[in-house]
Amino acid sequence: MPDLSVKLGPLTLKNPVMTASGTFGYGMEYEGFFPPEDLGAVVVKGVTTRQVHGNPTPRVAEVVSGMLNAIGLQGPGVDKFLHDDHYLPGLRKRGATVIVNIWGRSLDEYRETAEKLEAESDGIAALEINVSCPNVKEGGISFSADPQKMAGVISAVRNATKIPIITKLSPNGAIPVFAKAAEDAGSDMLSMINTIPAMAIDIETHRPKLANVTGGLSGPCVKPVGIKAVYDAAKAVKIPIIGMGGIETWRDAAEYLIAGASAVAVGTATFTNPMAPIEVVRGLEQWLERLGAKSVSEVIGTVNL
Amino acid sequence: MISDCKIISHEVISRDYRKIRFHAPEICRAAKPGQFVHVQIPSLSDRILRRPFSICDMEDDVLTIVYKIVGVGTARLADAVPGMMCSIMGPLGTFFPEPEDGKIPVLIDGGYGAAATLPIARRWKQKGILLLGARTQDDVLLTEEYKACGYDVRVATQDGSVGTKGLVTELIPGAIADTNGKCVFYSCGPNGMLMAVGKLSLEQNVECYLTLDHQMCCGVGACFACVVKVKSDSSPDGWRYSRSCCEGPVYPAKEVWYA
Repeated sequence: MPDLSVKLGPLTLKNPVMTASGTFGYGMEYEGFFPPEDLGAVVVKGVTTRQVHGNPTPRVAEVVSGMLNAIGLQGPGVDKFLHDDHYLPGLRKRGATVIVNIWGRSLDEYRETAEKLEAESDGIAALEINVSCPNVKEGGISFSADPQKMAGVISAVRNATKIPIITKLSPNGAIPVFAKAAEDAGSDMLSMINTIPAMAIDIETHRPKLANVTGGLSGPCVKPVGIKAVYDAAKAVKIPIIGMGGIETWRDAAEYLIAGASAVAVGTATFTNPMAPIEVVRGLEQWLERLGAKSVSEVIGTVNL
Repeated sequence: MISDCKIISHEVISRDYRKIRFHAPEICRAAKPGQFVHVQIPSLSDRILRRPFSICDMEDDVLTIVYKIVGVGTARLADAVPGMMCSIMGPLGTFFPEPEDGKIPVLIDGGYGAAATLPIARRWKQKGILLLGARTQDDVLLTEEYKACGYDVRVATQDGSVGTKGLVTELIPGAIADTNGKCVFYSCGPNGMLMAVGKLSLEQNVECYLTLDHQMCCGVGACFACVVKVKSDSSPDGWRYSRSCCEGPVYPAKEVWYA
């Protein structure tokens, strides 16, 4: 049997498959389908300093081979996340490896969120910094508009915590530039891609299909965008990359690993098939076995040009 | 729970409405009135999301769904034929609680909302009254099934083509009077109707449950797409967004935010 464990900088995971933030709730929602602790990591929905309502509805729109969402980072706030059984304590009890996605409207909110998580970091494997959510007016994507601003956020979080940090990049903008800037600012890992800014309009009513007007595109249609982002980033940085965007099966995951990702995340596919993340784990294991590979590292970045 | 279920039958009710039946023993045994199933439409390969449907019937291991053809998903579902397999998640969501002894269920539905409350008529010993509102005759569904369960069926159509001419809410005072106010409302239908029913129940001090939802993705509370507004003491605004797939779709009317 191949060894599925992966080393991502300071972090070692039992396998290279995670959930993508925002598609797996706060980790306990899919408990009835498979044990969340069987994944490499559960990446929870974005958390910030306070409770957030999120955007008005409609928040989603289906498009060909994908969907748009503009949820607007609805969430319980970091204090409730740390102390309510539906959130971190529930995952801790199950022994799941937890990565907490964090966001803020200001540097202070990123810092404060990170400090609170640092103070009760038992069971938290890493923080994923969301500097690229397309669906909130302040914070989120505005911090990824230029590499300096993004680096500022990373430094603020770096100074607030010893927990390993992942920076989640937007597919917009020059990936190598942002990837390098994140590495230089102290990010231990990168994850990509966030959803792609997008829009859909109802031609009967001339109204946007999302109440937020625009949203983020995800699903199988975005995979080629994600593959290129990972491929470009892997050439630009030394830190490990977590690849995501349109992964439905182990084949999609394998493509990301070959492109240069050291781990992958399953997102929108979980909505269609709640078993998708765990099926990707099993599928990758069988693939590596067929290849005769002893570990995941043997296939990472093996694009044959 | 997720299972592959075989389509047993698929009937045309009228131009826009269909009734589909699945062999689904596990789902049927677990299901309670008011819950829903999340269905992956067969051969809808360029669309990724499942579609939620109210459980219309779950007796004898047969899951029945009654649906209206409204978009690409339901149009493709209408092409499905008996023998085909379908991936179904469920039963999902909250359910209608039975009334305390001595209280009569009054079901208040709009159009194919009648599908969501039929399990109440089938399962609960205490029979009651169905108030069904529809645009026109063609949208009046399942009345024979309710009558067969022993229900007093009262219909209102907006064009007067069948039953009383007007809105279903106009039938509510009569139902309250006929039950001497000893009734509980259970309601499913368009949002405007539900808000009117909920407000009326609060004014009349009648216990009431509403079936609320919004476009749904995951069906299990993970994506936060299908939210509806409910009252919240802990929120400075007095309300919060609640995930209708797992905290609903059945909500006590007194917990809903009316604005």
